[in-house]
Amino acid sequence: MNFQDTRDLLWLAGGLYGVAFFIGLLKTFKNNFSLFREAPFIAISFGFIVHTRALYFRGLDVHGCPLGNTLERVQFILWSLILAFLILRLLWRLDLLGSFCAGLSFFAGWLSLLFPSLDSKYWLLENYQRLFSNPWVELHASIAIFSYGIFSLLSIVCAMYLVQHKALLDRATGKLSSFLPPIHDLEHAAFRLLLIGTLCLTLSLIVGGMHWLRHPEYVTSIKLFITLILWAGYCLLFFLRCSNILFGSKFSKASIALFLIAMLSMGFMSSKDKSSTILQPQQTSQE
Amino acid sequence: MSVQNQSLHLLGSSHHVADLGIREKINLPASAIDEFYQGLRQLPGLEECLLLNTCNRTEIYGAANNGFSPNLLCEYLSEFRKIDYDFLAQHSYQHSGEKVVKHLFEVSSGIDSQMVGETEILGQVKKAYEDACTRNAAGKMLNRLFQKGFQAAKWARTNTGISKGQVNLGNVLCELARRIFGKVSNSRLLVIGAGDVAESALEAFKSRGSQAITVTGRTFDWCPLSRRKPDELAEKYGGFALSFSKFQESLHHFDVILTSTASGKAMITPTEVQLAMKRRPSKPLFLIDASVPRNIDEKVARIDNVFLYNMDDVSAIANENLKTREAEVDRCRHALAKKAIRIWEQMTVQPNSISSINQSVTPNS
Repeated sequence: MNFQDTRDLLWLAGGLYGVAFFIGLLKTFKNNFSLFREAPFIAISFGFIVHTRALYFRGLDVHGCPLGNTLERVQFILWSLILAFLILRLLWRLDLLGSFCAGLSFFAGWLSLLFPSLDSKYWLLENYQRLFSNPWVELHASIAIFSYGIFSLLSIVCAMYLVQHKALLDRATGKLSSFLPPIHDLEHAAFRLLLIGTLCLTLSLIVGGMHWLRHPEYVTSIKLFITLILWAGYCLLFFLRCSNILFGSKFSKASIALFLIAMLSMGFMSSKDKSSTILQPQQTSQE
Repeated sequence: MSVQNQSLHLLGSSHHVADLGIREKINLPASAIDEFYQGLRQLPGLEECLLLNTCNRTEIYGAANNGFSPNLLCEYLSEFRKIDYDFLAQHSYQHSGEKVVKHLFEVSSGIDSQMVGETEILGQVKKAYEDACTRNAAGKMLNRLFQKGFQAAKWARTNTGISKGQVNLGNVLCELARRIFGKVSNSRLLVIGAGDVAESALEAFKSRGSQAITVTGRTFDWCPLSRRKPDELAEKYGGFALSFSKFQESLHHFDVILTSTASGKAMITPTEVQLAMKRRPSKPLFLIDASVPRNIDEKVARIDNVFLYNMDDVSAIANENLKTREAEVDRCRHALAKKAIRIWEQMTVQPNSISSINQSVTPNS
């Protein structure tokens, strides 16, 4: 384990989130499982510190916010998710939400690391230019990714809502449903997260749009199209929820679906076309 | 006298060995407790004593010197309650030494209760202990025993599943309401009818701080001048009485609606619920139909954000919870027995001196 290596640190951060997730599950489902109460939270906090360190090292490598390939974008979203959870954790005790967040960060984090092709070493290219030559673009990208973190938290809250909703409809009395928050509270939390996420995404688009007006050549048309579609989707979702047209389980399903679309479209979010000369991690390590 | 030369004794009768009629005979009326304690403290060799007297059990705990005959407790109780000695012996149990510790741990943790895992018994044990302390009847040994008993009860509730899940119908409804609305105190309850289930629900909601309780019923409108049951119920639980003819148009004001009438027809139809939901679109509605035949059309359950439960559903949840608790009893009993041995060893430095009196007598033995 090299504590200066981004990928090693990301594996470690994912592992710590995994530990938090499994301890959380054991604490929920096993009555006789005795480990001190804050163990999952401590594991998440350590994971977050390691995660931050990993992204910091990658930031030094790329001389900017590390959002140049799919792995970096996924990791940044997961980092934002954990950050949003830790902020919320200051206000409410949300142990089960922490377990869900840790679970998602563990699975998505390790999955993204399992495919080296997602982590192209674009900054080692001879003609590499700083990913974000303009600080406003860097701000645009980081706010956009943070909003994705909020939307991932929204999806987790919606998934919790659906589990609780189904348990109530099925008259189930499982341990998971008895530990989950009430559906009324989950729906309120989801609405607030949607509001914050949509505001962040809008702000990001405003900042990015100002730069795009001056340098339209930096943005591919597919990126522009997908970004606008996603923004319109979240705005529509917000409007439908606000006007009480879409709520309850349908709202939760729509939120999760929209987030999945956002995740699937991550591969199209590059600002510049670098497809021809990207080095893969194996190639660079041989060098 | 030092603790090393003392031993513990217990005489008790509970739902395990006596049915309700017999327990009524053995149970001590509140007015007789002073006199009972006075006589108990006169027993030769008995140095400390404590009476636990609840609707389900009457138990006498004693710390005595090693020459004390435990049968004296049975003789005294039979004499005091004017019950035949053999009859009492047949419907009671006697424990000594370590088994008293184990028994108290099981009682205070709720695994010996009729409703496994209930928490009320711990309060009753604490009250009995305070009462004995006030009378100076409990000394060093019983003090230690009961303090350890309270700790054991806390341990059992925290570390085992004996208290998990609600088993009382009213509490099950509150738990379901909590899973939907969060704080039960914030949800508005409408009770239609005045049956036992309705009263159980009212009690459970009231005990959780619910301020918005409304009661309505057919009898209320039939005879508004005379005080009929729905009105009485509303007053008893600090709620409001609603005219029966108006409740259908007020459904949207309530979060939890419980019907418990003998009307025999559907009082709440899908059309009415749909109208109500239009006026509270994003807020869920929790309906409980405690009537047979049912008072709420089951098609109502198909409406989005509406949760309809009938008595079978609620009973099934209560039974499921009870089974879960019972599955935990053996594990809890085993752990408490280990703790009891350890505590008893700490209480008695000379184990040989107590081995001869470490025994139990039950109706089956």
